[in-house]
Amino acid sequence: MSLLPPVIQLQQMTEEPSPNVQEIQFWLDKMVAWGRADSPNIQRDVSLHLRRLSSYLQQLLTHINNLISTTETMKRMPLLGQFLGRLCWIPYVTADDTSRGLLFQCLWGLYSEHPSNAVERKANQWIRKVLCQLATDEDDAAAQALMKPMGVPPNEYHLKVLRKMVALLQENIGKSCSSLGNINQRCSCDSILAASEACVPLATCPEAAPLIDALLQRPATCVRAALSEDFLDALSCAYSRQNLSLEEQAVFSLWHHSLSSLEVAVLSLLESVCTNTGSTPQRMLQQVSQSLLPKACAQQCSIFLVVNDIFRSTLKQAEGNECVKSLIQIFTNCFLTELALLQPQKCVSLKAFFPQSPQSLLVPLSTLPSEMPQEAWEHHLNWLSGSLQRLTEDEEEGDGDGDSSSSTSRGHHRVFEAWFLLVQCAHWVQVTVQLLGTKGPEDCGPLLWLLTFYHHPTNRGHHRALQLVHAKDAWDRLHTLFSVSTPPPFDRLQSLVTLLSPQPQQPSLSPSFILGLSVNFAVFSQQPLSGSTQVLQTVVHRSGLVEEAACALSSLELRLNAGSCSSSDANRVHLRIKSLQNTLTHMHAAWSPAESQAHTLTHTHTLNSTNHTAVSSSQDQVTSEHTNTYACSMEPC
Amino acid sequence: MVRVQLVCSPQRLQCPAAEPPEAEKRHMETLLKNVSSTAELLAVSARSGALEQWDGHALSRAFHWARYGEHLFRRFHSDPAVRTAMEKQLQLTNQSLRAALPGYTDVSFCDLSRCQHLLLVGLLNNPELPVSIMRILFGSGSPADTEHSEYVDVTGLCSHIIQCKSACKVLSPLADSSAVGADAEVQGAMLMERLGALMGRGREARRAEHFLDSLLQGCDGASEHFCLVIAAALLTAKNSAAEGAAQDVLQDWLQKTPGVLKLTCSALSASLLAGLAKEHRKFREAYCGVLKTWASDMEYSVHEGEWVQTSTKTCMVTFQKLTEHFLALFEKCPPQRDDVERELNALKLSDGDFDVRGLSVWGDLLSALNT
Repeated sequence: MSLLPPVIQLQQMTEEPSPNVQEIQFWLDKMVAWGRADSPNIQRDVSLHLRRLSSYLQQLLTHINNLISTTETMKRMPLLGQFLGRLCWIPYVTADDTSRGLLFQCLWGLYSEHPSNAVERKANQWIRKVLCQLATDEDDAAAQALMKPMGVPPNEYHLKVLRKMVALLQENIGKSCSSLGNINQRCSCDSILAASEACVPLATCPEAAPLIDALLQRPATCVRAALSEDFLDALSCAYSRQNLSLEEQAVFSLWHHSLSSLEVAVLSLLESVCTNTGSTPQRMLQQVSQSLLPKACAQQCSIFLVVNDIFRSTLKQAEGNECVKSLIQIFTNCFLTELALLQPQKCVSLKAFFPQSPQSLLVPLSTLPSEMPQEAWEHHLNWLSGSLQRLTEDEEEGDGDGDSSSSTSRGHHRVFEAWFLLVQCAHWVQVTVQLLGTKGPEDCGPLLWLLTFYHHPTNRGHHRALQLVHAKDAWDRLHTLFSVSTPPPFDRLQSLVTLLSPQPQQPSLSPSFILGLSVNFAVFSQQPLSGSTQVLQTVVHRSGLVEEAACALSSLELRLNAGSCSSSDANRVHLRIKSLQNTLTHMHAAWSPAESQAHTLTHTHTLNSTNHTAVSSSQDQVTSEHTNTYACSMEPC
Repeated sequence: MVRVQLVCSPQRLQCPAAEPPEAEKRHMETLLKNVSSTAELLAVSARSGALEQWDGHALSRAFHWARYGEHLFRRFHSDPAVRTAMEKQLQLTNQSLRAALPGYTDVSFCDLSRCQHLLLVGLLNNPELPVSIMRILFGSGSPADTEHSEYVDVTGLCSHIIQCKSACKVLSPLADSSAVGADAEVQGAMLMERLGALMGRGREARRAEHFLDSLLQGCDGASEHFCLVIAAALLTAKNSAAEGAAQDVLQDWLQKTPGVLKLTCSALSASLLAGLAKEHRKFREAYCGVLKTWASDMEYSVHEGEWVQTSTKTCMVTFQKLTEHFLALFEKCPPQRDDVERELNALKLSDGDFDVRGLSVWGDLLSALNT
């Protein structure tokens, strides 16, 4: 007994500030009010305070778990028993998953495995009794008197009644409103607000889903038919915890009504795609379609605009992150497909969807390569390159004038938007790299410019001219390496390595730039496969971009399959792709986990610097992914 | 000491059609043994200290047995031969359990329909139930739909029940578009189902009528609620000929059974009754009959200046209420107005055709209806 006080003192020093006495009194008074008759005011109060109540319960739970005995808890918080007792009988609290769960955990926290005195024994008894009553008591004796002889068990009965109520309310909501905006005329839409408030505790109740769907999908014709903000918040919360099961159109409606739920959807897509190592273009496409975001964007322009804003800020924070850029391209492609499905007859005006992009570039960039004969590609790209070049030069001229900051920022903005559109329509960048891998040295200029611009949009320190020189140089070297029929000379390979190593003085080319060129050269080159493989391996090994190389090969294969290619060459090319993919798989497997982890981390840490949880979870994922692949490769083939 | 083997799950029930007599007999024996085991399980769960040993698996197996009990009810409640055999078996089991356990309450065949509920009640009222088991039942995560699988997942079973009941309470103030209330609608629909099942293909009314009699008896103090449910049943849309037939039987029973019709007419609101009259011709006629009976039972009280009921045996109805009933009826069934007024006129004529208040209830009724 004498040991107890010092332990408690220790607790007092280390525990968080306990929920104070006034707060419990506040909530107790509120629970008394909530427990009384149901009136519309109570519903509103409930929807306003339910979330706060849950946080308070969480605090209480932490506090209860920190104390060593129930006796101690009851001494510190004498009103606790009364409070929890009242909570049990308030349907708004017990209907909501979160608050019900916390309430039960609080009760378990008060249960003593080995009760040491009468107080604890009584508490145990009371907890058992209250839970038993909650689960098994039947208030409506008259109903049970009929249901029992009819062989309907209580649980089935309650479920049927709930479903019937939901159906009745759904019917009500379905009735159209005829007041047509006349604010003084009463209509049935008043009940919409009340219904949405009532659904605040029922956000995650599966039987209420049809009602929630109906509320969300109701056309907003009447000014009275507003949905409660607390209702939207509750849905958004549940959605982010993936506790919601809604119809497709209801989800779109939720995104439309609640910006935060849309943000959650986009950020979680970014996270799932870009922190998952080993995601192929096919898998990315699958994840993007499954998110339902492209479809929503096609139906509602405002959603597309928000999504793009999120993409823009992500790009700005994570410069050079190839994964994000790939995602944006796949997403935009998916969106354009959905849009075409939605409006097959009409000539789609893209202006509304891309208000900030340079209008002259919009149609040329959004046209897919497959919609154009292959022979026209180079001309098209030359035109695009020229347009973009003119645009950037205009901006730089404005910069040189040293004029008002507004004009330079406008100029910067124009260049950024042009570049962003290019990222969205990066199918043309893929074509650029493909052409660069198959052409001779003549007229590479515009294509190289385009590729350099894609990887290095900003002209910091006016290095672009120098970078273009480097780009040409890199292309020359690669072209040579991939042309020789004998195994590549060692010094040439070394020069390639130098190219890939970061130079302190000069602006270096992005490794992705070089990798992209290398992959296309390796695939289309006429030289023996062994030579190409060796060069590509060097590049991949030096840059550490195994994943990216694999992705580039996959997407190249996809595009070639979809497009038209002369048959004899098609076979040769496909065989080369397959073989190179095999080589890469072996490289990946043999890679030491630590080294590849370091490489992949540098790619993922820039994703969203504020989203710390994403980083820590991605680290865990990366480790496990690599140890798995490592383990798999050790098995005998 | 009663022990229940919870090691194995109930044997799969096979379709008993076209089996040789020997196999059928063995099959029957198995069924009866299972019925007995189920009753024993319920007894054990409510009172035994053996519960201390239970873990998640034991809990799941117990609910699997309970679910099986419910399945037996559904399968055989309309099969008189098997049902009787099972009831006899239960009597025997009850006897032995009563001898072994003090304060034991019998398990009837009807109880099998709510076996899981009874199991839960027994468990939660048993102070020996380990807290770990309770935590499983009240945990989070709704139980998966394991209707057709071996393993019954009962995690969060009680949580789900509580959520459902609470959701009903939250939504009930809003779901007022129903004339009878959502719960009465559900009960009415169940009643229609049951009546339809009892009548079978031959549309035999006898069993249905017996059932209604037993329901009325069982209602005890809640007969008015029963009337509401009957109204709800009559208001359910006639989706099939069978349902129409069942509603017919219900109306016939309503008229035949003494007191129920009158109780219905006095307990329910005028608008609800008018709605019923609109849908069903039989009821409309019966209803008008009741209203006229009420009127004819009235006497003019000079003291109160109003017509009042003479006998206190019948349900309490005021003259004003009577007028309201007629007016509501006319609103929903306009063609009825002419017929009724014609009848009332004839009755007024037979009373002497006076226009002075207080001499003929029919005359006063007519003037009240026409003001």
